Amino acid sequence: MNARATLALLADTFREALARKIFWGLFGLSALLIAFFLFVMKIDVVAGATATVSLFGRNAGPVADVHRLIQGVYGFVAVFLYTWGMFLAVFASAGLIPSLLEPGRIELLLSKPVSRIRILLGRYLGNLLVVGANTIFLVLGVWTIFGWKTGLWPVSFLIAIPTTVFIFSVLLAVVALVGVLWESTALAVMVPVALMIVSPILAQEKIARKLLSSEWSRNLWKALYLSTPRVFDVGFSTLATIRDRSFGSLEPLWTSAAFGLVMLTTALIVFARRDF
Amino acid sequence: MDVSIETENLTKIFRVRRFPYLAPREIAAVDRISLAVPRGTSFGLLGPNGAGKTTFVKMLLSAVHPTAGIARIFGRDARIPEARRAVGYLPENHRFPTYFTGYGMLDFYAALSGVPASERRRRIPEMLERVGLAGWDAMRIGKYSKGMLQRLGLAQAMLHTPDLLILDEPSDGVDPVGRRHIREILSELEQRGTTIFLNSHLLVEVELFCREVAILHRGRVALTGEVKALTAGKGYRLTASDVPDRLRETLTARASAVAAKNGHVDFQFPDRDEANSALDLLRAERCPIESLTQTTSTLEDVFVRTVEAHRAATGVGQTAHEPALPAPPAGSVVRDLPEAGAKS
Repeated sequence: MNARATLALLADTFREALARKIFWGLFGLSALLIAFFLFVMKIDVVAGATATVSLFGRNAGPVADVHRLIQGVYGFVAVFLYTWGMFLAVFASAGLIPSLLEPGRIELLLSKPVSRIRILLGRYLGNLLVVGANTIFLVLGVWTIFGWKTGLWPVSFLIAIPTTVFIFSVLLAVVALVGVLWESTALAVMVPVALMIVSPILAQEKIARKLLSSEWSRNLWKALYLSTPRVFDVGFSTLATIRDRSFGSLEPLWTSAAFGLVMLTTALIVFARRDF
Repeated sequence: MDVSIETENLTKIFRVRRFPYLAPREIAAVDRISLAVPRGTSFGLLGPNGAGKTTFVKMLLSAVHPTAGIARIFGRDARIPEARRAVGYLPENHRFPTYFTGYGMLDFYAALSGVPASERRRRIPEMLERVGLAGWDAMRIGKYSKGMLQRLGLAQAMLHTPDLLILDEPSDGVDPVGRRHIREILSELEQRGTTIFLNSHLLVEVELFCREVAILHRGRVALTGEVKALTAGKGYRLTASDVPDRLRETLTARASAVAAKNGHVDFQFPDRDEANSALDLLRAERCPIESLTQTTSTLEDVFVRTVEAHRAATGVGQTAHEPALPAPPAGSVVRDLPEAGAKS
């Protein structure tokens, strides 16, 4: 029965995302990007190494190294997905939790033999599925097109799927907490976006260490850097992997995961204790 | 007694924050309510606005956490999700997601209630037909009228064949024919042993349908009893004095309610024939007749009297002239009059 209820909650989130055009909006954007690479960008590979690239039918000049060209395009797609895609995903998802808590809707859900934790987790995971499906569509779509056009299939690009979905899951935990605390869609957008914006600033820890005069302020900077989602660092590692370099330290992953876990657990506790 | 709903000193105190630097004000929305609703009955919960009815119902469904006390559904703590498997609920100001079709909405809520997919496929068309919505299954519910949504909500509450139906204003927005239809459906369910717990402002509807009622006022139970007994005042009131004990016993057995005051005895008879027959017996015994008056006592009368009396006792909104209170009808329980519900 529990699996049945969970599936119903996941399907409901998906259905709402479809009805609100969230799914189709993200899907359409991904499809546009894929279509751009499929129809507009033409690559002629010569002897597997050199290439000519044309955009909108105009020759963009010879390219010496196809592999680097591919890395550049994949890097662009990954950065686009990681920044604008993430922002759009947060923007699109922010309303899904407050809508669940609308008076007249939540009481009926709570009257069912389903725990509150399951209700909120169902919505959270459903939301993650919507964004995950779009991320997979975009990354696999671009990867397939370039693989087909160039004959090169570097799997390193596929790392953009888990890292993007992972950071989104962390930000979605913030969306969930803000949603259950204040039921405000606007605030549920603002807080995670602020975390995204502040992340590259906090990541300049070495520069801050030189600039800040007191030990106290340096420690505060470090504490903030380590205790907030490491969006910039994970993005940087993703790009490094796509460019055939090492992913680097896994610390940004686990500190971000810890942050997301704390946010999600707090959201679940608040939701379980609230009166509706 | 086999009970479907049981509460023990159920209390909910809301804290209202006052800015700045003032201690929060406490408002007892529900104040130590102990209530038992027998299994298989139709029970109406009445009360003026702000009496605590909705908070009480929400505590039964665990949407609101009690400050103190406990609510049980068929003997199980209402806070346990599994206890709610036996409950079908229709909220008052429901807001069903408009992206659902009629079928999709029933399918979703039935799945949450644990109905297997094969059962849902079989039961949903049947249920739509039963509430008069056959043929509307594929239509988005955003296009449904208020009455249609109400019927759909009722179907949603009944689909998993619960043993207890909690309905908040079930006929709100439904036309008179639809109301009768809903009453028929509920009566049918009651005959099959389903407990119907009705929270409604429509006193006529409660009087027509419910067997028992509780009247809440300022978070406490002001009166409980069987509707039949509470409305026993409808008929004729015969007041006599110096009634011999033997005759008094005979008439008490025939009367729906009896009260004695200042040496007079008030007999309440349900119809004219009984009143005339009693009058003949009293005259034969040469008992002085003080008065014979036709009385009307609907549930609305009972409700107004109870609330007014309660208000007078708590000193809030007391009116200059209180209506004369008849003797409590047989079978009713007048609860202790409480302290004021609001505490600061």
